[in-house]
Amino acid sequence: MIEVEGLTKRFVTRDVVDRVSFFVPEGEVLGFLGPNGAGKTTTMRMITGFLPATAGTVRVAGIDLDRDPLGVRAQIGYLPENVALYPEMRVEEYLRYRAALEGVPRAEVGKRLDEVSDRCMIGEVRRQLIGTLSKGYRQRVGLASALIHRPRVLILDEPTVGLDPRQIVKIRELIVELGRDHTVILSTHILPEVEQVCRRVLIIDDGRLVADGTPEQLRTAAAGAAELLVELEAPQADAQVALAALPGVAKVSGDGNGRFRLTLEGGDLRREVFRLAVDHGWTLLELRQTTLSLEDVFLRLTMRDTTAPSTPEEETIDA
Amino acid sequence: MRKTLALIHRELVAYFSSPLAYVVLTAFLFFNGYVFWLIMAYLNDPRTQAMTPLKLFFGGTIFFWLFLLFVVPVITMRLIAEERRSGTLEVLLTAPVSEGQVVIGKFLAAFIFYLFLWLPTVVYVVILKQHAAIDLYKVASGYLGIALLGVLFASVGLFTSAFTKNQIVAAIFAFAVLVVLFSMGLLEQLATNPALKGALGYMNLWDHMDDFARGLVDTRRIVYQLSLAGLFLFLTVKVVEARKWR
Repeated sequence: MIEVEGLTKRFVTRDVVDRVSFFVPEGEVLGFLGPNGAGKTTTMRMITGFLPATAGTVRVAGIDLDRDPLGVRAQIGYLPENVALYPEMRVEEYLRYRAALEGVPRAEVGKRLDEVSDRCMIGEVRRQLIGTLSKGYRQRVGLASALIHRPRVLILDEPTVGLDPRQIVKIRELIVELGRDHTVILSTHILPEVEQVCRRVLIIDDGRLVADGTPEQLRTAAAGAAELLVELEAPQADAQVALAALPGVAKVSGDGNGRFRLTLEGGDLRREVFRLAVDHGWTLLELRQTTLSLEDVFLRLTMRDTTAPSTPEEETIDA
Repeated sequence: MRKTLALIHRELVAYFSSPLAYVVLTAFLFFNGYVFWLIMAYLNDPRTQAMTPLKLFFGGTIFFWLFLLFVVPVITMRLIAEERRSGTLEVLLTAPVSEGQVVIGKFLAAFIFYLFLWLPTVVYVVILKQHAAIDLYKVASGYLGIALLGVLFASVGLFTSAFTKNQIVAAIFAFAVLVVLFSMGLLEQLATNPALKGALGYMNLWDHMDDFARGLVDTRRIVYQLSLAGLFLFLTVKVVEARKWR
């Protein structure tokens, strides 16, 4: 649905977005993660055609942005970060105005208004001036206006910033629901949001894509190979040999007191370790797989002053 | 077409929901009423030579120019600067509308508001008609001149509004450009080189209005004002397209 290839934005001296490429299939909810100033908003602005790219191509629903910018804009519903609206207009008036700009057929407008007000739960403020609305309502009015033309793609730039916890929950539920019939790109720096809402995550840092995958894949990838901590009451040497012989184990290090750290090539070996202990009549005292939270992954990938063992290129995995 | 109409409608809503519109309208009427009264008092003085009041009213006094040079930037300053400041420009330009449509929509809205300002002055014509013979053709050409000035001035105002997020800066910038445009024609008197004198005379806005007020519709004047307005609108589109400056 969205194909981005080598997208670059250079502002005078520095590359704000540097050769970013990704593909979003139809119906996917993609989380776009990165610290502030990483280039998330710039990337989104380039996809919507608001900012011209220095290099690279964007295709939305098979339409090339350079060839037919208006065609691409028609496919996209965009909610920018600060949800800019006209305070002097009434909600309904504004939605009608957006409908006209988006080319919604005149006869359809009334129906669409009901549809989006219903979906975004703004029915009770339809007659109100936008300037008098709370931040949460404004966010929903912004979202309603982005949906009025039934776009196939939704691009939401930090849609929950500045909302209270109840409103955040509501907006997230709404995004999950919208994800059922839209392709969604959601930018955020709130990690639990991504875990809740997105099936796939891109992490961008300093203009470069540093990770691409499902939250689980990212965790595994960033942990390097996963590790398994095992504590056994068993003859040290026998146990070390037996554990190292298990398929999928890359390395075993023991501390001499029955504790072993298994570096795995991948997968989950807890069952095999358990059976091994049972077969040999050893007592299993502890068995623990180390997992990283998405937060750890994010920190590892975006903080360059930590002693990351590998370069960003190596950490990038393909979904 | 429907998109342009929607843009015009939105701008007019914005005009009439801000206090500025009413302040401008009131000041404009008050000021024009005062000027009209001055003209009447002046012409009623037996020592003045015979002149028609409408000729004075349509650009024959410095008041006309002072106010116009000042009021049009105030009308146009908001148009793009405010959208830039609040960020609505991003929402607007990610809708399937072109920069050209946006510029034309905003320009037409400002022009409509400008015409609306002048609408009540028709009353003066009606009052005069009760007391004197009025050549309605000259009235029409006078209003045509005013409309043409509106086209030119509004295009300049829109152009300067596209440059900045600050409305005041936009207004002052527009005022400066308009003063330059206006005073270029006045330099005609000082020029000695006949070619330069001719060129400056072609640009003399005071003479433009004078012609129109006398019922002289000169196509060269129309072409000058419309082509200059066209140039400014074209430049406005280019400035809006050059978003990388932000």
